[in-house]
Amino acid sequence: MRCMKVIGLIGIILFLLTGCWDRKETNDLWIVTGVGLDQPKDGEVEVTVEIPSPSGNEGGGTGGEGNQAGGNETILQTGKGVSIPKAIEDLETKLPREILWSHTEAIVINKELAETGIREELDFFIRHPEPRLRSYVFISEGSAKEIMALLPPMERSSSEVLIELAKSEVLMKVTLFDLLEMLKGESGASILPMIDKLPPEEGKQPLETIAYINRSAILKQGRMIGTINDRLTRGVLWFRNEIKESTVTVKPEEADGLISMNLMKGRTNLIPKIDGNQLKMTVKVETVDDVIQNKTKWDLKKMKKHKMLEKELAQKIEMRLTDTLEMVQKEMEVDILDFAEEFRRKHPDKWKGIKADWKEIFPTVKVIFDIEASVLRTGQGNVP
Amino acid sequence: MIEKGKISALQMGIMMYHAIIATGILFIPSTVYEAAKQDIWISPIWACPLGLLSVYIAYKLHKLYPNHTIIQYSEHILGTFLGKVLGLVLLLLLYTSVSVMIWQYGEFVVSEFLPHTPKFVIIGMMVLLCAFAVHGGLEVIGRLAEMVVPVFFLLFLIIIILLLPDIEIKRMLPVMENGMMPSVKGSVALYTWFAQFGIIYFFLPFLTNREKGMKSGMFSVLVVTLTLMFTNIIVILVFGSVTENFNAPLMSATRYISIAEFLSHLEALVMAIWLAGTFIKICVFYYAVVLGTAQWLNLSNYRSLVLPVGFLIGVFAMQAFLNSAEAAEHFRLVSQGLMDTLVYGTMIPMFLFFVAYIRKLRIFKQRGERER
Repeated sequence: MRCMKVIGLIGIILFLLTGCWDRKETNDLWIVTGVGLDQPKDGEVEVTVEIPSPSGNEGGGTGGEGNQAGGNETILQTGKGVSIPKAIEDLETKLPREILWSHTEAIVINKELAETGIREELDFFIRHPEPRLRSYVFISEGSAKEIMALLPPMERSSSEVLIELAKSEVLMKVTLFDLLEMLKGESGASILPMIDKLPPEEGKQPLETIAYINRSAILKQGRMIGTINDRLTRGVLWFRNEIKESTVTVKPEEADGLISMNLMKGRTNLIPKIDGNQLKMTVKVETVDDVIQNKTKWDLKKMKKHKMLEKELAQKIEMRLTDTLEMVQKEMEVDILDFAEEFRRKHPDKWKGIKADWKEIFPTVKVIFDIEASVLRTGQGNVP
Repeated sequence: MIEKGKISALQMGIMMYHAIIATGILFIPSTVYEAAKQDIWISPIWACPLGLLSVYIAYKLHKLYPNHTIIQYSEHILGTFLGKVLGLVLLLLLYTSVSVMIWQYGEFVVSEFLPHTPKFVIIGMMVLLCAFAVHGGLEVIGRLAEMVVPVFFLLFLIIIILLLPDIEIKRMLPVMENGMMPSVKGSVALYTWFAQFGIIYFFLPFLTNREKGMKSGMFSVLVVTLTLMFTNIIVILVFGSVTENFNAPLMSATRYISIAEFLSHLEALVMAIWLAGTFIKICVFYYAVVLGTAQWLNLSNYRSLVLPVGFLIGVFAMQAFLNSAEAAEHFRLVSQGLMDTLVYGTMIPMFLFFVAYIRKLRIFKQRGERER
């Protein structure tokens, strides 16, 4: 009996030893850092994955196209299929190891694909438990594969360049989560950073360059409808209260040159108001800037000049915002400025009546600017 | 008496807290979101009275029959035959309920963490572990629950603090956009969880300080409500309208944490909380099933039933649903009001209570007539 008990106990303990079922050794994995999505032809998706090579001298002898030039150690591989999972299946047949998606931090979507709609494609990245919500999403002017294939001179891989660029927040920074929130938002409009290849310097290989963010793509209901340039993108950033970096150069009428200022602090408040049938939006901007270059003969330490400069700054920002508004509200008629959400939050009851016709109402929203600009530090001296 | 061990009223409260919260913090936000949208944090307030009611009725019945559990006093109240039938219904509901809980556990672990591990192993190990605890008796489960509490609150607090950089108040606004109804509708799904408080009718006879039973039960309901409100607020502040895309939003939120680039992928923390909680939850219900079955069969000892019952619920749990769509359909029906927990947690005790009350009145009446 006692013997039986011992055997039984051992049996049970053996049952507990099945532990490491799902172990993943790093040398059995391909860690994907960047994904590119292309549309070679209608109804087909091409997935390009960028994988940092585990060791420099292993090279591309594993089946992928090895990129060994310039100290770069990434491997590219592509797969095609009718959907992303199909394309990934195709990809997996070419990769000797299992793909690990949890470190994917850059997702590049080709412009043509974005024009047919990204909502459906994104579903994969949300449903899959591995990809992270913090991955950055970009739209590329040319093919995404080409962007992934670039060999940046400094960073280890092309996706790393993109991640760093997004993090610097000079232009748009959109994560997968932000994109989801925008797609689900009341306005149905979203904005994504647009990247393009920087022309390589003379004497360098055509691929030895980086991709950079130079514009923003505007999407309506998940479909790309157009782009806006960097200047207007900063205007949008002002509206969305996401402005972090901005340089404003003014040329006062009475002065004989330019004064450049750097943004220290910028905050925007959108105050919606409904006056009968007229919707009004007060854009309240507070900003603090520092002077970084003074090409005029003005002595900025004088209170009078200081006040004039602040006025110029406010005017300049207002001009930028008006231009942005002109483009986004009047021309493209897409609400990427989050006006819809603001109205919904402030006037939930009236919003129900407006919601259905928002597309028509948005271009008629009257925008009032209330800009409070101050210059904090003017620095010493003048142009010698 | 069949159970010799005693637990304190506080231990019972803590046991029930885990039994409700363990699955609650993970699945409640997305379940409630469908109806309540950004008002999900209000819903627990509407559902809380049901928990209080369940505790109150269980306590009242306990007052009438201080030394018996529901299986025993249903025979007193309804007569042997009807009482046995009702007991059987109750036990069957509990069996399926605990099987679904174990299925949920297995499904979640497989889908989120160990996709290649056979479910058989995951469920089998959990059932085996719980069997050990249940075999140890009520005291063991009570103390285990008490032991887990500080760890639970500490980890919960850590998660909330780490999520603070990602919150945005405006995601919660406007509060009560469409009036009160959405949050009330959302609270219907919560009844499933709050009704489970009814099963304290299995534990009340074994308290050392019985008069405190109701107080600690009510206290437990309130703490559960608060915890759920906190969870829902933090989820809605972090995820806003995206909440509905996640099966377990708190888990996804924890995965979303990224502080200074190195403090990330913390979902193991939630997993730790959740595993400990689920373990207590399954133990509590497993114990109730075992004890109930033993009493229904008039056995003198329930320990011999632990392994057979464990085997049964393990197999039930494996076969509970064919796929996630079928499970989703089941949970959708449940959240619309077809709840088994509501039946065994609140309705059956309420029915028994009314019958007992009427019979008591009649007895008083007869007595009065005789005296006259």
